[in-house]
Amino acid sequence: MDTTGAGALIKALEDVGCEVIFGMPGGAILPAYDPLFDSKIRHVLVRHEQGAGHAAQGYAQATGRVGVCMATSGPGATNLVTPLADAYMDSVPIVAITGQVARSVIGTDAFQEADIRSITLPITKHSFQVHDPADIPRVIAEAFLLASTGRPGPVLVDLPKDVLATATTYTPPKLATPSRPVLSPVQIRNAAQLIGSSKRPVFYIGGGVIRSGAAQELHKLAEKTGIPVVTTLMARGAFPDSHPLHLGMPGMHGTVPAVAALQRADLLIALGTRFDDRVTGLLPEFAPHAAVIHADIDPAEISKNRKADVGIVGDCRDVMAALSAVITRKTDLTDWWNYLGGLRATYPLGYDWPADGMLAPQYVIERLSRLAGPEAIYTAGVGQHQMWAAQYVKYERPGSFINSGGAGTMGFAVPAAMGAQAGAPDRTVWAIDGDGCFQMTNQELATCAAEGIPIKVAIINNGNLGMVRQWQTLFYEGRYSNTRLGTHQRHPDFVKLADALGCVGLRCDSQSEVDGTILEAMAVHDRPVVVDFVVGQDAQVWPMVAAGTGNDEVMAARGIRPLFDEEE
Amino acid sequence: MTRHSLSLLLRNEPGALARIVVLFSSRGVDVESLSLAPAERGDLSRLDVVVELQPGRTIVQLIKQLGRVVDVKSVVDRTHDEAIELGA
Repeated sequence: MDTTGAGALIKALEDVGCEVIFGMPGGAILPAYDPLFDSKIRHVLVRHEQGAGHAAQGYAQATGRVGVCMATSGPGATNLVTPLADAYMDSVPIVAITGQVARSVIGTDAFQEADIRSITLPITKHSFQVHDPADIPRVIAEAFLLASTGRPGPVLVDLPKDVLATATTYTPPKLATPSRPVLSPVQIRNAAQLIGSSKRPVFYIGGGVIRSGAAQELHKLAEKTGIPVVTTLMARGAFPDSHPLHLGMPGMHGTVPAVAALQRADLLIALGTRFDDRVTGLLPEFAPHAAVIHADIDPAEISKNRKADVGIVGDCRDVMAALSAVITRKTDLTDWWNYLGGLRATYPLGYDWPADGMLAPQYVIERLSRLAGPEAIYTAGVGQHQMWAAQYVKYERPGSFINSGGAGTMGFAVPAAMGAQAGAPDRTVWAIDGDGCFQMTNQELATCAAEGIPIKVAIINNGNLGMVRQWQTLFYEGRYSNTRLGTHQRHPDFVKLADALGCVGLRCDSQSEVDGTILEAMAVHDRPVVVDFVVGQDAQVWPMVAAGTGNDEVMAARGIRPLFDEEE
Repeated sequence: MTRHSLSLLLRNEPGALARIVVLFSSRGVDVESLSLAPAERGDLSRLDVVVELQPGRTIVQLIKQLGRVVDVKSVVDRTHDEAIELGA
């Protein structure tokens, strides 16, 4: 088929199964937008390229497919840097397509030239710059394969403008079948032996279990063994919160029983997780009595932070299926469960109502979870509201919580919700956002309104950069340097802003109105909704392991250290 | 700091060397010497590098991180071989 580089690009994207691109045109990428005009691929015209990148991430995580974003050269491309870094940290499969200045002027500081390949080297899994239009179909197929196989991640494809404009013949790309690592039977047997002889084992489940689509295998293996399960921030939803074997989230703001399970364990069965510092606390004091089985598809993660006694390179789904096949009997974990059950009964998640009579943010999220239910998709930004969304929404299925874990990107929620809604139009999508985060990326609500993407946004408006304020309360003697945003003084007025962006704007500041407001928001289907939940500024996220301390110092609330006191 | 000698085979693709060098700098690896030369196979280059690692970082970890770079064909730890060549 005779075409141009641009025509080949769009045809190749169609052939690899791309159904939506989030992007914005500009000079260098302009040739690609002409054939795109006639394509069956939907293009969502964002208001800022960062929104395109996070939308591609939200789409990828809601659907399990590769998300695609597109931008022009120079500033268009550099605006994708944060989403690429975010996708790299959280292993999200996205392909970013960027325009580049013409080959003849690359390296001359041409208008809108930026060396985006070099800029993104440490935050992409791989990148391409195409110099021959005939290579475009192969490169697109390779980019999709690289993004979605092994440990998923972001791939950049940089396309000089003249390559897009040059005539070529389209050859359909050969779609390679992805290969999966072959498991070592010896390591599986060693792992099964450790599991069989342990008295205090725990499944330490990470985001890799969601990426590999292994939730069913986890359910089966957990029920077969009766071993307690903890799910990290990136794994919320990998195992149902309603399941009696589930102790919740471990880590800095994890539940007391989940933190205790890791600290007191004699065996960690770590699956698709990377012993992140937000989970381990002070590394030398992490899980001091535990042997470690660590399975991950990325060999570089095994023994990176904590030495594994048994390391298994493999896809979590294969690993759990193999373990299920060799583990035949349940070990007696009565003592272990008695201990953990006691902690679960004594230290459930809980919160106080603010002394000033304002709304408790945790209550808002709890009610949202109850009314929107587990079939909805929830996204979050970064900070207090994110931790409450991880704690107080009850997740029952993988892919229902989409947030920025590793990079901690404020402003993630709204564009990620947009992408998730585009990929899952039949689900309700709630962005749980902070008043600080929301002001970083809310321009994408105009995109949502214009494109018919009816997301719902719950702003947990505490008037401050809440997590930073919490640390200032705890560690800086209440010196609130530069954390007050003025959002309680309506700078801006979120209801008016929502209206101006083409959304329905609602406000709620009392407990009696919370349910009614959520139901009112859920009754809107023809445009996005923004609810300004005005909450108290002094609410804090608990439990907490203070940064730089060991997990044994986990505080259920300020000054209450259940594990530390246990040892006295 | 521990000193190691590595030998890599890289695909002759634009940006391959840059990706390796950036990996060293972002992972805090100190490069003592580095040389790149065409390998026997025309589409590959051989990169010999001597690095120093921070305390607590292992060469096995670095080799695995190099191994996941798409354009890296192989990584060999030659620390021991070099010691023999030098008669040490």
